[in-house]
Amino acid sequence: MNVVILNLLLLKATITSFSGLSSLPMVRHDLVVDRQWLNDRQLNAAVVVGQSSPGPFGLYIVAVGYFAAGLPGALAGWLALVTPAALVIPLLRYAARRAADPRIKCVLQAVIAASAGLTLSICVPLARDAITGPLPAVLIIVSTLLLALTRVETLLVILFAAAVSMLALLR
Amino acid sequence: MENQPLPKLRTLTGIFFRAGSLTFGGGNATTAALQRELVSTRGWLTDTDFALCYAVSRITPGTNLLAFCTAAGWRLRRGLGALAALLASSVPGAAIVVLLARGYEAWHTNPLVLTALHGALAAAVGIVLASSWLLLHPYLAATTWVRMSVITGMSFVLAGFLGFSPIQVLGLAALTGCIWRGTTRGTAR
Repeated sequence: MNVVILNLLLLKATITSFSGLSSLPMVRHDLVVDRQWLNDRQLNAAVVVGQSSPGPFGLYIVAVGYFAAGLPGALAGWLALVTPAALVIPLLRYAARRAADPRIKCVLQAVIAASAGLTLSICVPLARDAITGPLPAVLIIVSTLLLALTRVETLLVILFAAAVSMLALLR
Repeated sequence: MENQPLPKLRTLTGIFFRAGSLTFGGGNATTAALQRELVSTRGWLTDTDFALCYAVSRITPGTNLLAFCTAAGWRLRRGLGALAALLASSVPGAAIVVLLARGYEAWHTNPLVLTALHGALAAAVGIVLASSWLLLHPYLAATTWVRMSVITGMSFVLAGFLGFSPIQVLGLAALTGCIWRGTTRGTAR
């Protein structure tokens, strides 16, 4: 596997998204579906790892790179993660003028709505992989509600789901 | 801000390092921690500076939090500040991610760990679902919800069932946003 291509694919995903996990559909399309450098289980695990770490949710890209190509892949993922941030400086300089344009606002809103739809679309294959019985299905519903409606920390939800699964096994 | 001495690069780096390595809960939690530190405690940024950095980071491609840290670093110490803030806020978390990923590879065949992972993977689906809602929710004002819901639904169908690539979907959405403008009142804070 060529790490430079991996970096470019991950960069394509990060630079065309507007929040941490909204790059996920592009990553899945390029690395799972097209090139099969990862499977859905590894992608899901990368999300868990990313969410279990401090800092931004987009860090899952580093785990994606690691699962695809080890430490060089993790470095490629990190570079893809931080590179788009440089764009903020020219945007900041012209922010007031650009942000006031209603047409730009409408386009940005539409892109955000599309990002939400894309994120929803990848839940179907991820859920297919995760739902191995009734308990994971319940955990998905509970996790979604907790994270969408309360301020509980993501890490606590992951630990809660893991603990419930282990308790169910030990019972 | 103009009358204040420049913050020391080492102190600035330390603040972003702490925020990047100790704050769980994603961008909003880390941004809140940085707001306390940079605006309330140290007074390095005014409320207006902070709001400008926050708003612009929301429309910057990529991870909003890293764009915010870069913007805040740039406002405080220009290029060096931006670089220091970006590295300090991303490197610790990335290192922890690599350690956790190695741990996953080493332990994911253990039956008990495997069971715990099944639970965590289910939670990951919940995280993705909730993140979609949290992304959309601030834009669902009375004047915009129809347009936002239609574009979200169309994107879901195009990508999930009709095989459109994410770039095609985003391009179509941008075009739709350009044509179907409606009103921008009620946009996210």
